[in-house]
Amino acid sequence: MASTQALSGPGSASRPRAPQSGPIARRLELLSELVRRDVRARYHGSVLGIGWTLINPLVFMLVYAVVFGDIIGIKGPSGKSYAVFILSGLLAWTFFSQALVMAASSIIANSGVVRKVAFPWMLLTVSSVIAALVNFLISLVLLVPFMILAKAPVGLPLLAIPPLVVVTFGLCLGLGLMLAAGSVYFRDLQYLINLATMIWFYLTPVIWPFTRYEGFFRHGTVGLLAHIVVYANPMTWIVLSFQDVFVFNRWPQHWHGLIYCTVLAAGLIWLGMRVFRRLRRRFAEEI
Amino acid sequence: MEPVIRVENLAKRFRIYHQRSETLKEVLVDRRRSRYEEFWAVNDISFDVPEGETFGIIGANGSGKSTLLKCIAGILVPDRGKVSVRGRMASLLEVGAGFHPDYSGRENIYLNGAILGLPRRYINSVIDEIVGFAELEQFIDNPVRNYSSGMYTRLGFSIAIHMDPDVLLIDEVLAVGDESFQRRCMDHIEGMRREGRTLIFVSHAAETVRKLCDRCLWIDHGVQRAAGRTGEVVDAYIGEVNRHETELLRSISADLGGSGPGWMGVRIAGVEVSGSDGDFNSIRTGEELSIRIAYEAPGPLRGVRFRASFYPAGQDILLSTRTDDAELGRLDLPPEGTATLTIPQVPFLDGVYGLKVEIEDITSGRQYAEVDRPQAFRVQGGRRFEVGLALLGHSWEIPAADPSALKVSATG
Repeated sequence: MASTQALSGPGSASRPRAPQSGPIARRLELLSELVRRDVRARYHGSVLGIGWTLINPLVFMLVYAVVFGDIIGIKGPSGKSYAVFILSGLLAWTFFSQALVMAASSIIANSGVVRKVAFPWMLLTVSSVIAALVNFLISLVLLVPFMILAKAPVGLPLLAIPPLVVVTFGLCLGLGLMLAAGSVYFRDLQYLINLATMIWFYLTPVIWPFTRYEGFFRHGTVGLLAHIVVYANPMTWIVLSFQDVFVFNRWPQHWHGLIYCTVLAAGLIWLGMRVFRRLRRRFAEEI
Repeated sequence: MEPVIRVENLAKRFRIYHQRSETLKEVLVDRRRSRYEEFWAVNDISFDVPEGETFGIIGANGSGKSTLLKCIAGILVPDRGKVSVRGRMASLLEVGAGFHPDYSGRENIYLNGAILGLPRRYINSVIDEIVGFAELEQFIDNPVRNYSSGMYTRLGFSIAIHMDPDVLLIDEVLAVGDESFQRRCMDHIEGMRREGRTLIFVSHAAETVRKLCDRCLWIDHGVQRAAGRTGEVVDAYIGEVNRHETELLRSISADLGGSGPGWMGVRIAGVEVSGSDGDFNSIRTGEELSIRIAYEAPGPLRGVRFRASFYPAGQDILLSTRTDDAELGRLDLPPEGTATLTIPQVPFLDGVYGLKVEIEDITSGRQYAEVDRPQAFRVQGGRRFEVGLALLGHSWEIPAADPSALKVSATG
């Protein structure tokens, strides 16, 4: 029994050699395999599965709308639904923060593979960011019926979404690469990033309308500090653009901000790759 | 022709951390820097492996074999030197390939295939074979975290060989798994050799290397000791291992020494183990072993007993025997003397054994003095497949051979 099985294997039979993909095809195949795995892993074993992609932001939206809108009394842009306003920014924000958190643990979570097999490990991080992107796209598609229910106008400015997504993806990838490589040496980074995104969230105009508070940034030391932080925060411009499209049905207004984001994203990717390449040399030892 | 694998002056340095700053508090509050020492796990290794060769790497545990293999596999980046490999390489490092514990065996097969650069459709065409060879048909859709180490190894090995590699790196994995699987693996390795694939085989088992490899390299503490034809290198390696073992045995002196004065000033002046070899305490299974216990006391001893306990290094007692069990009863002894315990046929199998000798008061059980040596003597022996702690007297009865069955096997 045993010997017949052995004879039928590749070791002894003269079978054609396995095909070998080229370097780029190989990376793409691996990446698609990893993304498939990462997306599935996220909802693996949960009853609602992919439904959580939508439920999460909807619940957060409800909570924020009640706490900040009804109880604290923050007003949305005049004449617009505060719920739609929160949701549009929240989706973009969720993509960003989720991508960072997932990227930060992308290498450590795969320690078993990194310790045993050499391959472009960077793809693990890229895949985690893509997985966050996939979740985001699903939630975006599910958002449309909600928008129609909420009687929000939908039109041509939706075409601005793809380039916005690309820029956000770039920001996530650049930061994610640094976080992923850094976490191998400094484990606390994974937890720090959770904390950081929480604070970052309040510094981004997701729940507070930028236009209402713009004046505040011009007064006093605190105002100046807030001004620097909020204006330097790339997510300010991304979120504002999402609100332009989904709340006001208009093309993004802050072109200067978006150009800044694009340049920053390119710079972060360049830096992220450099950092990652340098740190990857001792991954297998440190992990 | 260009060699398939070329290693030039390869060196790899590791850090051994004494105090590692890993948490935020340590880094920010204590301002502590990680303190570490560096050592060269592998230093200045060079060799070439031509296509179709099976190349062995031998050395004791911790000699740097696995580090070297990981450098060849590209998992570790060498600090000095160069490694170049042509063709598709698959590796089996320690137990299992790089599996993700939460994913099923099937998902891990696809993932591993993608990592090795094989198109999905190719994996589709061989997946049944992979699963079949690993004998995991029932479990292939369960997460690998639930696999036993044998299942893990079988799957890892099966994936690696079905990925059709030009170069296969194998690290000790054949030591795991049941015998039938091991044999099938060996058949496969043999088949791959015949096909002209290149293999690197790492092991501390000299005989496996001798059987499999054309040439080999012996490394010791990260340094290249010998390289060349397997026969010569393995002989040199075995010679060294034996010398080492002899030295270890010599350090176990026949005289186990005595104890300081115990209760009432009684002391064991010396314990001597005598085996078959006068030089050191090596006894063969089945031979006579005697233990001489010399004691001293300030005056005559009344109502005492001797106790001797044998135990394999680091384990529970195998045998504990007392003079009162031997129907010697209460012993009244002169102030000094020697008691001798003889075991006519030592039943213990291969290994190092500890010995504890005590003098006790027979009524209270209180101990006057003791000598405890975890490495008292060594036993060598047992036939080839007898393993365990002790040899029990035994005999086998088997059915007589059926003449017709003999005929079939003779003609078939």
